[in-house]
Amino acid sequence: MSLAHEFMGSAGARLKSGSGNCVPLLELRSISKSFPGVQALDDVSFAIWPGEVHMLLGENGAGKSSLIKVLCGAYTANAGEFYFKGERVEMHDPADARALGIAVIFQEFSLVPYLDIAQNIFLGREFPGVLPGTIDRQRIRDEAKRVLDQIGFDIDPRTPVHKLGIAQQQMVEIAKALSQDARILVMDEPTAALSDREIERLFVMVRKLQADGVAIIYISHRMAEVFELGDRITVLRDGRKVGSVLPSETTPDELVRLMVGRSVDTSYGRHFCEKPGEIVLDVQNVTAANGISDINLTVRSGEIVGLCGLVGSGRTEVARAIFGADRIASGQIHVFGELRKGAPDVAVRQGLALIPESRKTQGLALLRSVGDNLLVAGLNKLFPDGIFRKTVARRTADETVQRLRIATPSTRQIVNFLSGGNQQKVVIGKWLTTGARLFIIDEPTRGIDVGAKAEIFNLIDGLVQEGAAVLMISSEQSEIVHVCDRAYVMREGRIVGELAREELTEENILRLGMHHA
Amino acid sequence: MPDLATASTANSPIATIPGVAVVLVLLSALFATVAPGFLSAANLSNVLMQSTILLMIALPMTLIIMTEGLDLSVGAVLTLASVVLALTVVATGSFILGLATALAVGLAFGVLNGILVAWMAIPPFVATLGTLGVAQGLALIVSDGQSVVGVPPSILFIYSGKVSGVPMPIVLGGAAYLFFHVLLYHTRFGTYVPALGGNREALKLAGVPDRGMLIAVYGLGGIMAGVAAMLLTARMNAGHPTAALGMEFDAIAAVAVGGTSFERGNGWLFGTLLGVFAVGILRNGLNLMAVPSSAQVACIGVLVILALYIDSLRGPS
Repeated sequence: MSLAHEFMGSAGARLKSGSGNCVPLLELRSISKSFPGVQALDDVSFAIWPGEVHMLLGENGAGKSSLIKVLCGAYTANAGEFYFKGERVEMHDPADARALGIAVIFQEFSLVPYLDIAQNIFLGREFPGVLPGTIDRQRIRDEAKRVLDQIGFDIDPRTPVHKLGIAQQQMVEIAKALSQDARILVMDEPTAALSDREIERLFVMVRKLQADGVAIIYISHRMAEVFELGDRITVLRDGRKVGSVLPSETTPDELVRLMVGRSVDTSYGRHFCEKPGEIVLDVQNVTAANGISDINLTVRSGEIVGLCGLVGSGRTEVARAIFGADRIASGQIHVFGELRKGAPDVAVRQGLALIPESRKTQGLALLRSVGDNLLVAGLNKLFPDGIFRKTVARRTADETVQRLRIATPSTRQIVNFLSGGNQQKVVIGKWLTTGARLFIIDEPTRGIDVGAKAEIFNLIDGLVQEGAAVLMISSEQSEIVHVCDRAYVMREGRIVGELAREELTEENILRLGMHHA
Repeated sequence: MPDLATASTANSPIATIPGVAVVLVLLSALFATVAPGFLSAANLSNVLMQSTILLMIALPMTLIIMTEGLDLSVGAVLTLASVVLALTVVATGSFILGLATALAVGLAFGVLNGILVAWMAIPPFVATLGTLGVAQGLALIVSDGQSVVGVPPSILFIYSGKVSGVPMPIVLGGAAYLFFHVLLYHTRFGTYVPALGGNREALKLAGVPDRGMLIAVYGLGGIMAGVAAMLLTARMNAGHPTAALGMEFDAIAAVAVGGTSFERGNGWLFGTLLGVFAVGILRNGLNLMAVPSSAQVACIGVLVILALYIDSLRGPS
């Protein structure tokens, strides 16, 4: 595709910006970046105009993260050129990017836990105080307050960041980027951790920035927002640009095809459970100090039961209480007819598995091999005499890799180098060796691309087909609707409703889960 | 009880009474009842004065630990600086020259630690364990294993002198605390310290030279070891090649007792001050009760565990 052709394609965006200026704000020409053994970016060209929201799509490992890192100066490209308003510029370190007004909202938060919100927003750009080397803390707070007000985030800027939840940290990240008077704002999956209400607020903000002439590069895995916000869509695959299209000229199916290079069924069509088995999880009137009260729910074998509600409604806390990670104050939990009490190790012996919401910090030993991660939960079961036998270990790991179709060169590969979807398979896989039959899965597809999502759901479906039971927590209502046999909806630490298969719609979930406003 | 956390104006994690304050009150009450003469003005002043040497190295140790680092070499570097200071003063008769040499030795070791940790990516525990050995060996070599005596008594002023009736060590200790308070909470450098431990990547992406900052933190620790060497030499009126060996234990203990965490850049400078007093009072009270030094070390160990246990009762901050 010629560059000229691409410029033509952005007419819509240019009209929106009202400038009529043909020169892009930023243009990347034939950018390549390689690491030993990996071609992360291969001849990628990319341009963005003021006031344009440019959606960047691609599966994990497609090169989106590398492209962002090149854009913000964290990586230096091996080849290619940068043009800012038509002028050739160099891009070697973060200072170069900042000088051009490029700000990035990273998916992995770039916040310092024991500094306050204001200090985080202005990290590295502190206002000088009276004496050399000192800082003007009051001014930093005032300016931070101003930026926070601008995005409608009502919080004391002196609050230390370690006290904030994920969604609040996301808002701080956004404030941090905005405070840099960014002309080009890169957002890496900004909605991944946000509730619907927060997402709406974010969208309003994005449109406001767009109206102010800010160019926005927006990475997303959610088709709905790609079409809702995007002026143009660029798709990457295997480090190459495979297409740059206007939303009006494409369909979600076409985008998915571009991303994965093949057709993928996004409906995750599964065979819903016709005849559920006996009750394997029975939670009765459980109240716990972690904020949940009077929880009643059941899961039968062969079922996938959803647990939904807004972020912070207590879903994860229910999972933790069942698993014994948090103590319960009153009520009873039975699993497979047995009273559930004691710490997680007892839960594992009783046949429970918890797949936590944060894959990287709670689910995996990132710097260990695929094999090590797969075996870690099942060591007691595999080697009851406490002696580690390599052949058994290798065979078990290999079997799991094949069964779950984990894409890895070998079981010796370091887990950190796998894609998000394959990492998630490893987290699930490690429980197969324990003989678990009741799986609690928290946010099974967070940060996982479309193609891999379907595979994860197939895998979960496979588990219940074999008689296991699954309690699935998800912030993505469409997933709950497409995957679950029934679902419970939570609000403010309580279960506010149960939806049977035929009542299970996104509208019903929202209606129950929203605060009475 | 007033909220000590807000008194420090810090982003301190302490919402209720910190463990170190509880420990401090308990210790004072204990020794007031069982240790003869503990509450006398002379003894309390003595505790303060003796604590200043520890304070000098515990203050920068707080910053180092906030970067998720550690400096095991500080006791040995302090000892080496003290010996070198004494030797220089004996040889040249110039206290200023002696002090300059001590500071230079401290700075050199501090920067070396920083380079090993920041540039060569050697884990702080191992890097500073190595420099501990080097400094300790050098102290024995340059002193020939003997105490360096014959230091002119004019140096005594540093430890025994008074400014407007306030003993010199307390003046110096107070000045050092103030300096570190301003440094940590009111400068750019201080803002980057918790970032070095809490999220170095964020600091790098903000365009801050993170390695240079880390070297500066360790370098500061070295300089302060030189300052402490000045007090120590003046107190003993000699340089002794084993004088402060093992003092890193007291320093790390004081920082830990004071509520600074070894993870994520969570530190509290005022807590370190209280921690230094807790260690100082414990040592002093046990001395009054004629408890041998080896048993004192065991008691400090118990103190650390006790303070951190009290902190943990409040759950994760």
